[in-house]
Amino acid sequence: MKNTILCVKWGDKYGREYVEKLKQQCEENCSIPFNFYCLTDNPTEDYDVFLPTIWDVHENGKFWAYRKLYMFQEIQLRITGENFLYLDLDVIIHQDLKYFFDLPMNKPWIVRGWWNDLEVCKSNFSKFKSTPINSSIIRWNSNQLIEVYDHISKNIETIFFTYQTIDNYLNHFFYDMYGDKSFFNIFPVGDIYSWYKGNVFPDDMEAKKIRRECKVCLFNNSGEDNDTEELKLLWNT
Amino acid sequence: MEHLKYTPEMARDWKNANNASEGYLRKRVADSMNESQLESKLWLVEELTKLNIKPIRVALLAGWFAQYIIPLLYDNFESIEWIENFEIDQDVKKISYKFNKRYKDDERYRVLIRNVMFDKIQSGMDTIINCSCEHMYPMWKFKIINELILKNPLYILQSSDDDQHDDHINCVQSEDELIVQSGINHVIYSGSKILSNKSTRFMVIGR
Repeated sequence: MKNTILCVKWGDKYGREYVEKLKQQCEENCSIPFNFYCLTDNPTEDYDVFLPTIWDVHENGKFWAYRKLYMFQEIQLRITGENFLYLDLDVIIHQDLKYFFDLPMNKPWIVRGWWNDLEVCKSNFSKFKSTPINSSIIRWNSNQLIEVYDHISKNIETIFFTYQTIDNYLNHFFYDMYGDKSFFNIFPVGDIYSWYKGNVFPDDMEAKKIRRECKVCLFNNSGEDNDTEELKLLWNT
Repeated sequence: MEHLKYTPEMARDWKNANNASEGYLRKRVADSMNESQLESKLWLVEELTKLNIKPIRVALLAGWFAQYIIPLLYDNFESIEWIENFEIDQDVKKISYKFNKRYKDDERYRVLIRNVMFDKIQSGMDTIINCSCEHMYPMWKFKIINELILKNPLYILQSSDDDQHDDHINCVQSEDELIVQSGINHVIYSGSKILSNKSTRFMVIGR
């Protein structure tokens, strides 16, 4: 099969049930065949792939979520497929994921958080915060993101020191808030929304509202505590 | 050095810069014009003057809008021919050119959008000024990136112990720590100064 859905589970913030739930959601909401893989530090299932550790020696207290970008070297990890879709574990899928595999792939795709005020993002660009880019969902074809992986590998200490989140790093090097020079395409308005932050700034910003007309709901909450339990409650609604 | 020379030309340019600073830029410009910003630039010029330094081609790293340092340098060092401000913030260019229009029009000032911890600067610079070391990775990396194109330039570096801001990712606690971070081998000045915002600013000059 050429279509592959990936997730990453590292550490114990999310239990195995999150992977199982994501897999179940994909099976229920993807009308085309796909492979499913979970990159993890603790492989237990057939679909698990051992998450590399090569960057771990650069752990400096600021490095954590960068681990998920190991997936950008999908060929080296021997992950089957040609068309890749990454999903965070804390998402709720509302619509057919085939949509993402049908996108034109002149460039890879990433979430632009339309709930962000772009003026705030521009104002905070050099403060390394308030990025409009969100890496909770990424769509790419084979080898399209090796450039990002190589950039990190080449500048690893500087990047981990300077950019405390992947999203901030990607915003600085692979997205253009001011024009059309972005490395990534961004998913259109209304595709992806945030449970905690809303949908589109400034007109559709109600938080904690299910929007089934959108394709996926994210639970990005800047590391605050209760998000995992709140998501679990919504699994059954 | 106790003051900035406020000339009619500067008044014209600053008025235009302020008029151009709409929306979210207005607060940023205001932040860039506080007392401490001016104090630290005056201190830099004062020490360079005492050391009888004669810069010619100056690379200003992360100079922000550079409304203080550009006129201070040009007014106090006749030797300076060219200043280039390397910034990552695309909003800076337009506003900095407004503040420093008289120098830009004379082809003595330019802003380049460039991340100096990842990419080389232009060759031919004899003086490197970075008053924003607390905002970036240690300067030794800059020295390595540019070692083939810069011929033993003079470095003038400032940093801070003020770790209350998210973007102060590399504060230091002493001028000695700044020296270690910088990779400067021959120090000709190092010192500290308590600014009006109560933070301590450190400065190192050397090669």
